[in-house]
Amino acid sequence: MLKVQDLHVSVFGTPILKGLSLEVNPGEVHAIMGPNGSGKSTLSNVIAGRDGYEVTSGSIEYIGKDLTELEADERACEGIFLAFQYPVEIPGVSNMAMLKAAVNSMRKYRGEDEMSAAEFLQLIKKKAELVQMKQEFLKRSVNEGFSGGEKKRNEILQMAMLEPTLALLDETDSGLDIDALKVVADGVNALRSPERSMVVVTHYQRLLDYIVPDHVHVLANGQIVKSGDKSLALELEERGYGWIEDEVSGLQEAS
Amino acid sequence: MSTVTATPNHQPSWLPSGSAPALRAAPGWFMELQDKAELDYQQLGLPGVRDEQWRYTSLRALKSAELTFATGPLNEAQLPDSDLPRLVFVNGCFNALQSDLAGLPEGLLCTNLANALEHHADRLEKVLGTTLPDAAHGFQLLNSAYCRDGYVLFVEQGTIIDTPIEVIFQNDAGVASHCRNLVVADANSQCTIIERHSSTQPENSHDVYLSNCLTEVVAGQGAHVDHYKLQSESTEAFHLGGIFIDQANSAHVTSHNIGLSGKLLRNDVIARLNGSGSHIEMNGLVLGSDQEHMDNHTEVVHAVPNCTSDEFYKTVLDDHSRSVFRGRIIVAQDAQQTNADQQNNNLLLSPDAEADTKPQLEIYADDVKCSHGATVGQLEQKSLFYLQSRGINLEAARALLTFAFANEVVERIKVDSIKQELTQLIAGELMNDIEGVL
Repeated sequence: MLKVQDLHVSVFGTPILKGLSLEVNPGEVHAIMGPNGSGKSTLSNVIAGRDGYEVTSGSIEYIGKDLTELEADERACEGIFLAFQYPVEIPGVSNMAMLKAAVNSMRKYRGEDEMSAAEFLQLIKKKAELVQMKQEFLKRSVNEGFSGGEKKRNEILQMAMLEPTLALLDETDSGLDIDALKVVADGVNALRSPERSMVVVTHYQRLLDYIVPDHVHVLANGQIVKSGDKSLALELEERGYGWIEDEVSGLQEAS
Repeated sequence: MSTVTATPNHQPSWLPSGSAPALRAAPGWFMELQDKAELDYQQLGLPGVRDEQWRYTSLRALKSAELTFATGPLNEAQLPDSDLPRLVFVNGCFNALQSDLAGLPEGLLCTNLANALEHHADRLEKVLGTTLPDAAHGFQLLNSAYCRDGYVLFVEQGTIIDTPIEVIFQNDAGVASHCRNLVVADANSQCTIIERHSSTQPENSHDVYLSNCLTEVVAGQGAHVDHYKLQSESTEAFHLGGIFIDQANSAHVTSHNIGLSGKLLRNDVIARLNGSGSHIEMNGLVLGSDQEHMDNHTEVVHAVPNCTSDEFYKTVLDDHSRSVFRGRIIVAQDAQQTNADQQNNNLLLSPDAEADTKPQLEIYADDVKCSHGATVGQLEQKSLFYLQSRGINLEAARALLTFAFANEVVERIKVDSIKQELTQLIAGELMNDIEGVL
């Protein structure tokens, strides 16, 4: 589904990713872990198509298409969803209005008819229950005045509405207390399916107790330096990132 | 009416030449008022860029425009699709056939100025012209000198008009018109007026004309007046407007000043809070594009204690359009316990657009709460990316954010039908790509 090969990315001129490769198959959940500044967020942002994230070499292929050829909104319409680390507040645009615009924009892209207001309302009510979001939040401006937990729940609500094929969760656990984390994780787990893949970017193992990954990758200095199953996350929790960095620098010296 | 005997070279072509057509049966005091204004105008002339209040506003195109002083309606007005009671003015003259005041309650006089001068001159004499600024500028003097018609609304004590009254102002190409309107709301009365300004040929948006249209509002004790002014002028038209408001104790006036199109729109909105407990709300929205130039000069005078003012003007500029906002708040020495707020936010959608904003607070009292804020900004990249990442294309994302910015002013409109209409009107201009969102 997603094939990233030898990817080099510069952010406003500074090289961040330096030869990253990653393959994600349908239905898989991959966790990307790593110390601060290792390039975790860069990976999710470059896949989502953020301005200023320049692919200098390598490739990103998604369901057989060269992603770098597509605008951010086209990527979303192709089924890529980014849950933001810092969701943006948009005063004056209600959650409902944004989601209706998004849903219908995607339908238009796929050549389908627009969703009727009644249909939309029914759908969003159902999805709001999934993340235990009160209906009043739907009418409020996007993320405006929301707490950290409410913002993250709102991201998952949007994901539930847009039903992506590939979901990128960027530090979704940051700023969440344990109760909010459970609600968010339950929402994410409810959206797991054999057709839907997820890339979960996180600094801490804690989130992975709730969203159990199929594969865990450690990102350091712009590359994936170690991959394994969920036990790798536990090892990182216990030993920190230092030993991997030492291992990597040892390898580099040896070569 | 006297004649302009010696027209200096720099005078525009569209002043009445020879004798201006006299109003039938106008009372002596009115003719004196017009004569005096004409003399004052001859002394003062039109403003120029050397005048501080016109620094950012070029009048060159207007001064050289080939227009003729309006003498009557030629075309019929194109009426909006509403069943509100309405008065219609074409080229500055009343069109009785298209006007319809059925359904208005007892306790009010709603008519046109020419008629009121003939039949209700004594009521007019006490108020007409009293709200104009002492230092009126050239266009205001011209309006006083040459106005022949306009709407007149007297609402008697305690009369509540639930239905908004709609006033249509339309002009033909090549015309200069000068309407003067008057609203007198007596104690504890309530009324809502919607002014709509446009060309008689909305399908030809390039008609050149001048609409120099002033409205006076006198709100008595405890009166509530909501005034809406929607300007959808032709993109080659000049609109010089003024709204002058005098308020007595506990009078509550709201002015909604919406500039949608026009080559040059300039409004002077002045409210004098002369009675304790009075409140003025000034809402403004400007949507400029192409080469349009839209100015709003507002002034709130807190003359007595315990009054409040709330001013909220927003501007959206695209292409090469320009805007000027000047917001003056004067708090007199006696006006303690004043609470005044002013906000002017400008959104520039193009690197070639220019917004000039100038808050001016003059506070002579020491126990007051006055706040003001002026911002000029662009759409935020992170907001655009957020919307794009949800599948909304860049153009629609820009429209959605722009609409959200403008909508904060529309949200303040109290009449639902106007709010909806304006939402659609503005959405139509901005949001072709996201129909059905709202």
